[in-house]
Amino acid sequence: MKLLTVDDSKTVRIIVRKAFKGYDLNILEAANGVEGLAIAAKEMPDLILLDVTMPVMDGIEMLTKLKSNPLVKNIPVIMLTAEGGRDTVLKIAKIGVRDYMVKPFKEDVLLDKVGRILDLKLVGEEVEARRTILDKVQLLMVEDKPAIVEQVREGLKHTPWEIHHSTNTWNAVDFAQNNTVDLFLVSLNLPEDSSFELIQILRSNRKTKSVPVLAMVVKTDKNRYAKAQQMGFSGIVTKPLEMVELEARVARCMNLDMSPRYYSFEQKYMVIRFPEKPTGIDLSEISNNLSKKLSEAVDSGLSRIIIDLQNCKSLEVGIIKQVLQITQSCRDLSLEHALVGNDSIVEQGQSFEETKNWKVYQSIESAEELLQVPVS
Amino acid sequence: MISELPIETERFNLIVANAVSSVFQTMLSRHIELDTTSSHDANGAPVRHIPITESGQQLVVGNIGFVGKLTGMVYLYMTYPFAINIASEMLGMDPHEVEEDEMVNDVIGELSNMIVGHFKNQLDEHGYGCRLTIPSILRGSNFEVEPVRSASRQVYYFSTPDDQHLIFDLLMQPGD
Repeated sequence: MKLLTVDDSKTVRIIVRKAFKGYDLNILEAANGVEGLAIAAKEMPDLILLDVTMPVMDGIEMLTKLKSNPLVKNIPVIMLTAEGGRDTVLKIAKIGVRDYMVKPFKEDVLLDKVGRILDLKLVGEEVEARRTILDKVQLLMVEDKPAIVEQVREGLKHTPWEIHHSTNTWNAVDFAQNNTVDLFLVSLNLPEDSSFELIQILRSNRKTKSVPVLAMVVKTDKNRYAKAQQMGFSGIVTKPLEMVELEARVARCMNLDMSPRYYSFEQKYMVIRFPEKPTGIDLSEISNNLSKKLSEAVDSGLSRIIIDLQNCKSLEVGIIKQVLQITQSCRDLSLEHALVGNDSIVEQGQSFEETKNWKVYQSIESAEELLQVPVS
Repeated sequence: MISELPIETERFNLIVANAVSSVFQTMLSRHIELDTTSSHDANGAPVRHIPITESGQQLVVGNIGFVGKLTGMVYLYMTYPFAINIASEMLGMDPHEVEEDEMVNDVIGELSNMIVGHFKNQLDEHGYGCRLTIPSILRGSNFEVEPVRSASRQVYYFSTPDDQHLIFDLLMQPGD
């Protein structure tokens, strides 16, 4: 959850930040109405604390502009003012605020008022475990071209993701109200540009405002691409769709942990598994998670690592580099390691200076047996 | 001037006392009380003769104007060490962390805003609606505020149990 505090006084911004220090709340700050509007449109906070008297653009003007922008008009606002006179209160009430506070205020009053609007949680309280690439998540595709829908379903069928489909925006909104949607995949080529209306509806709806929305646009359609960049979409993929890229973008938008696809922990060892044809994304995920996963292995008492290339069709340079990085890291940590591959990997390995001395086992079991032999 | 308002002088003084003590209590959990007040006309003794300004210490002065049925200016005087002390308590930081001028100025500006805002809200309730200006800060050890001749001046002297002083210097004249 995000709270935006708009106040020219750094003191008030520090006091607000201090008040919510122990809460799982991201505090955003702006020093005047102009900055406040820009941050509100970009970050879509769940609540705005807005000062009245500020230079550049005051709170009343910012509130007026906020309420006239369909994208952000439903963000609740608590006005914060040292001037609590009747006229001021009536004026801000007319424009539409959820509540107001007169300075000076006690910290517990601030917490109480914010807590009535946001479901405040202490840090660490009921924090959901990060979802992984192996979890079943719900995707809603809003696309009126059946061929594209089929292409996406086919391209992502190896994932555990459940892909729902809607041909128009109204059905999509209806579906989202009655079901859980973890990500919207929306075509920008729907009739009457209705996808731009859809993003506004989704962003202003309490249930869907934080759900990532990935846009699909024809590569050459520069106008829609530019418009989508300003409308709060979580990301944009271009048609014709590249499935590897789409899968990676979907996972990234949902902040899915990709590492279980490559790293698994067995009773006595950790396996680092390479896919059939590793892409740049696969290799960077393996690389980015390497230190963390080796630390986890050490922490859990594992001292053996198996690098599994059995699925790989060919020994690409990227794979070789990555394996060399892994073996070096294992040596640095004094971890025993073994390489498992297939005939093709063994044969191709003879052709490279860096790999010709690799000892490649034909199965995880044989590698495991060898790793269990005490080092003399 | 105060005697010309349909608010009793005693009541008016209470409004000022409440504004200062209530902000100190709420924001700093600290007791402060009004010791005495003195009236001056425009040609009266300048505030530099007030005890805390005679020590030659650097002063921090928050000032805010108000415009409306009453128009005027409030100056809040305090010594620099007291300002640091207030800033550190208000921000929940150690005093050495708030020694930056910008930070102290910002806290005293906000404290002035709250005190004068409280004072202004009470005036509103008595039918003297006005608006506040954005606070500004004066700093130095050798300056005085010279009011316009038409304004009257009332100075309020506050102190805390640990002998820190604050002066609420009010310059006021009828507005629109």
